[in-house]
Amino acid sequence: MRRLAASVALVATAGCVTLPPDTFVLTPELLKQRQIETRKYSGIQERELLIACSNVLQDLGFNLENSEVRLGVLTASKQRDAVQAGEVALAIAMALLGASTPISKDQTIRVSLVVRPVRMSDGSPSQKEHFVRITVQRIVRRTDNSIIAQGLNDPELFRQFFERVSKSVFLEAQNL
Amino acid sequence: MIRGRVGVLATCVLVSACASTNERVLDMGDQTQLQKRAYQSRTFDTTDKDKVLRAVISTLQDLGFVIDRADYELGVISATKLNVYQLKMTVSTRPRGKDQMLVRANAQFNIKPVEDPKPYQDFFASLQKSLFLTAHAGE
Repeated sequence: MRRLAASVALVATAGCVTLPPDTFVLTPELLKQRQIETRKYSGIQERELLIACSNVLQDLGFNLENSEVRLGVLTASKQRDAVQAGEVALAIAMALLGASTPISKDQTIRVSLVVRPVRMSDGSPSQKEHFVRITVQRIVRRTDNSIIAQGLNDPELFRQFFERVSKSVFLEAQNL
Repeated sequence: MIRGRVGVLATCVLVSACASTNERVLDMGDQTQLQKRAYQSRTFDTTDKDKVLRAVISTLQDLGFVIDRADYELGVISATKLNVYQLKMTVSTRPRGKDQMLVRANAQFNIKPVEDPKPYQDFFASLQKSLFLTAHAGE
């Protein structure tokens, strides 16, 4: 029921906006984001790399939603608390002034992870060199049941994620 | 008396909802099926399904989408972009003739279908960069 109210709130607030004009245009910012979201791994086959990545997603508490091994795609999600101390402090301050401010309550975090082979100079896919790219988004529900939906692009988030993939690739190679 | 009025009102609501539900399900707009297919489709001079599908996935990721679902056999990719708004997209691929692949995309922005050809043109322009192939007009 709460979910329904939340999605109704999303629909209600979203009804009046229009598609931003350059949504499907590859801008320099998007290409920069591609670099942040991608790492190259060598010396491992696509299937093994995908298994190592799926283990990392499990390490991070994600539940697998979908997978297509033939295209190197994994989609996973998890629900977590979204309360932030700063927001709570502000809400308390505002409450003292008599105003009620909604704060973040919980969130669904979604990630898609894609493994693709590096293309050799003749255009054929490499067997031993692959790119791993993740895109992450979250849907935050607030105490008034409104929804905030956003993509995540903090470079530090991706750096830490890929560090874990590196470790997992190492463990995979050692069969641990 | 009151009960009768409520009944009439409920019937009115039901009847009007019924008509508009059919319209929504069938997305009956001003555009014909062929018009939609024309701007939602492009063909590429390749038969490499794997390459085309992976390029579609890369392009969607480049554009900030999270891949929701991928199916190699069907040749279909679905993805969602969240940026205050919600943008959902499904891209399907199938062989066309002996030496081409047809790629078709349809998008939904929040609760509306995207029916302007321009965003699709932009999408295929981005896809052809990723494929290193020229996109030809669709159906």
